[in-house]
Amino acid sequence: MIRDITIGQYYPVDSVIHRLDPRTKLFGTLVYIVSLFCFDNFLGFVAAAAFFAGIVILSKVPFSYICRGLRPIIILLMFTVLFNIFFTPGRILLQWKFIKITYEGLYRAGFMGVRLILLILGSSMMTFTTTPTQLTDGLERAMSPLKIVRFPVHDIAMMMSIALRFIPILLEETDKIMKAQQARGADFETGNIFHRAKALIPIFIPLLVSAFRRAFDLAMAMEARCYRGDKGRTKLHPLRYKFRDGIAYLYFAVYIAVIILLRKWI
Amino acid sequence: MGIITTDQLVHEYIRRDENGDEIGREQALRGVSIDIPAGSFIAVLGANGSGKSTFAKHLNALLNPTSGTVIVNGLDTRKEENQWDIRKSAGMVFQNPDNQIVATVVEEDVAFGPENLGVKQEELQGRVDEALKKVGMFEYRYHSPNRLSGGQKQRVAVAGIMAMRPSCIIMDEPTAMLDPNGRKEVIDTVHQLNKEEGITVILITHYMDEVVGADYIYVMDHGEVAMEGTPREIFTHVKELSDIRLSVPCATELCHRLREAGISMELSGVLTSKDFVNAYRNTHFTDLSKESIKNPNSAENALKSPNTVREEGASGDGEHLDNNEVLLELQNVCYTYSEGTTYEKKALKNMNLKIHEGEFVGLIGHTGSGKSTLIQHLNGLVKPTSGKVMFKGEDIHGEKYSKKALRSNVGLVFQYPEYQLFEATVLKDVCFGPKNLGLSQEEAEKKAKEALALVHIDETMYNSNPLELSGGQKRRVAIAGVLAMSPKVLVLDEPTAGLDPVGHDEILQEINHIHEETGMTVVLVSHSMEDVAEYADRVVVMSDGECKLYGTPQQVFRNVSELESMGLAAPQVSYIMQMLHAEGLAKEAFAITLDQAVNALLSERRETR
Repeated sequence: MIRDITIGQYYPVDSVIHRLDPRTKLFGTLVYIVSLFCFDNFLGFVAAAAFFAGIVILSKVPFSYICRGLRPIIILLMFTVLFNIFFTPGRILLQWKFIKITYEGLYRAGFMGVRLILLILGSSMMTFTTTPTQLTDGLERAMSPLKIVRFPVHDIAMMMSIALRFIPILLEETDKIMKAQQARGADFETGNIFHRAKALIPIFIPLLVSAFRRAFDLAMAMEARCYRGDKGRTKLHPLRYKFRDGIAYLYFAVYIAVIILLRKWI
Repeated sequence: MGIITTDQLVHEYIRRDENGDEIGREQALRGVSIDIPAGSFIAVLGANGSGKSTFAKHLNALLNPTSGTVIVNGLDTRKEENQWDIRKSAGMVFQNPDNQIVATVVEEDVAFGPENLGVKQEELQGRVDEALKKVGMFEYRYHSPNRLSGGQKQRVAVAGIMAMRPSCIIMDEPTAMLDPNGRKEVIDTVHQLNKEEGITVILITHYMDEVVGADYIYVMDHGEVAMEGTPREIFTHVKELSDIRLSVPCATELCHRLREAGISMELSGVLTSKDFVNAYRNTHFTDLSKESIKNPNSAENALKSPNTVREEGASGDGEHLDNNEVLLELQNVCYTYSEGTTYEKKALKNMNLKIHEGEFVGLIGHTGSGKSTLIQHLNGLVKPTSGKVMFKGEDIHGEKYSKKALRSNVGLVFQYPEYQLFEATVLKDVCFGPKNLGLSQEEAEKKAKEALALVHIDETMYNSNPLELSGGQKRRVAIAGVLAMSPKVLVLDEPTAGLDPVGHDEILQEINHIHEETGMTVVLVSHSMEDVAEYADRVVVMSDGECKLYGTPQQVFRNVSELESMGLAAPQVSYIMQMLHAEGLAKEAFAITLDQAVNALLSERRETR
């Protein structure tokens, strides 16, 4: 059923990585992504891969499952690699008519490919081990300093979590409305692009009406339950750093040290 | 003075044009004065549009009175500084279970209210757990609300209110979108909270059975309190209630009908089957001696034995239809959702069914039994995982079969079809179907007008915006949208959901009228055994993706214990007849409609005289 779609591909197992505070994971992901753009040689990637491998092992998420995350970007990856192979000037390795492959091209292609793969795999670890709710909570807390400049951090976090709650409901509703209009003879599968776009009107209008109705109902229900923004609001599960988060930050510190060392001396 | 009092409460909705200028006023409440004592269970009855929801919103300070006052716990709702305390002490549960759950995990949703109140973090978990236990949802605390049933979601909503420790719960039609089991779950829960926790309950509804246990009832009509009193007092006014689009419980209705037929039984106080039996005994005629009934205690046997069958009325004698052409046929149809994933679910298991031309088929089964999946197979919206669906002997998933032709032949009306309306005017919306079939504008309009006439939508509404019509009218327009395609078979998924009692009867009567006038084959999915008993020639009972019982209503509703084991029931009147028989008060032990019961009881009177 359409309601079974999981957002953010959360992989439900219990591991130390899953239990980490989302803020820790956000910070770790940030460090990792920045580090990938600091390296200018393959040795740096070895360090990044080692750092990443440690997390993968602890997370208990199967490696094959993580690699599935690469599927949607395979075209982008191929394009990047081929572009680099064929269009980097330098010492020529092979030449056939106007197509030439250079040493530098091969090197750069490999370099960019590895960087892209590590980037995608690493950042998907965040969503594999963190539920969307935790992620929202983490973002809210991590961005809370912005409240000083009147940035509506709480409101944005609340909107995100409501969106997460209603996406499956609206998807289901879309499915229902589509079927209902199909039952009235609507055709979404044939015709040119304009025809198809026009055929979507009978879906979008009822969906929009319904979304507004739901928004109105929900706003009233929230108000009836004394919601008035984050003023004086407490939390059932407030984010609290545990000992394991300390260990994680230590791990990040070691990694940052390694990056600096690699940049300086190699 | 009670916990909630209103004095001459008036509410006006002001309609404005684009510039914000007033173009009209509508009085939703016209001087409502009530006084609700703490700890009581109060019901507010009223048809769609009677102002009962507007009234409920005033009790929670979600609306401001145009004039008059509302005092909750000694606080005036007009003062803004009181709103917070009012909402804290008088929690509100709304109609749509999905639209009032905020969080993606049950426990976090229950915590939402107390979090807003600033309850200390150490105390929160205790409050949440306690509230969930009170409504019996503790074991679901880590679940996603999306995977709960409607009744369960409403209980979570009740827990969300309970966690705020209110002294009063206001429920605005909490059961209108639920199936009978879900309704019972929710009503039982609030009764328990009322008794055990002393919570004041204000239940707003149009289901008569739910208010029988209330301490006091206010009946609203056109923004006014039309009647008030205990259930016993209110339900003696059968005629007045039906004038304001309400009904009475089944037992009361039966009693009323017998009185109209000349039996002088006491009407006051007859609310449940038991009341009816007692009243019947008290008015009972000494001339019907016990000996004239053999084995009065073997009602169960009598139910099953075919000798006591008395075929009567138009409903129930569907045998002759077996010779008609088979329009739709399902052969060994299986359907599996999300095959190969962890959510795999077998929705249909080897389903066989024949629908003959001109039949009125009732399809019953509890939520999740596969009814909705089944009807989507009938017009090819869903393709069976295995098995065949045939229309007039042709496989609808055959290579050359035209889906468009099939969809014009098999019209499918989904639940809450009014949510699918999208055009700017009623007439245009109804034309959508015929135009998709390739008809010209004129032909389409002709079909649309015919269809609208069938559901009694008159010409004055043709150019109205469908969204501005009343609930019952929207529903009719949506049904007309399917009728305009002149289908041979009309399939309706709970066409009466959420309508008030009179609106419910009107829609069903219209459908039955169309069936009788045009000979259209009808498949009606319903949660109401009474409706199926009343109108259907054939009943299909589904459970767990299979067809468990099939036959005329007379045949199917004899299997009471089997129906009950599937979470269903026989029509209420059949339980009354069974009780009368068991008590030795009636020879006949079986009736599935009120008419049958009335006739049976009257004819027994004549015989024994």
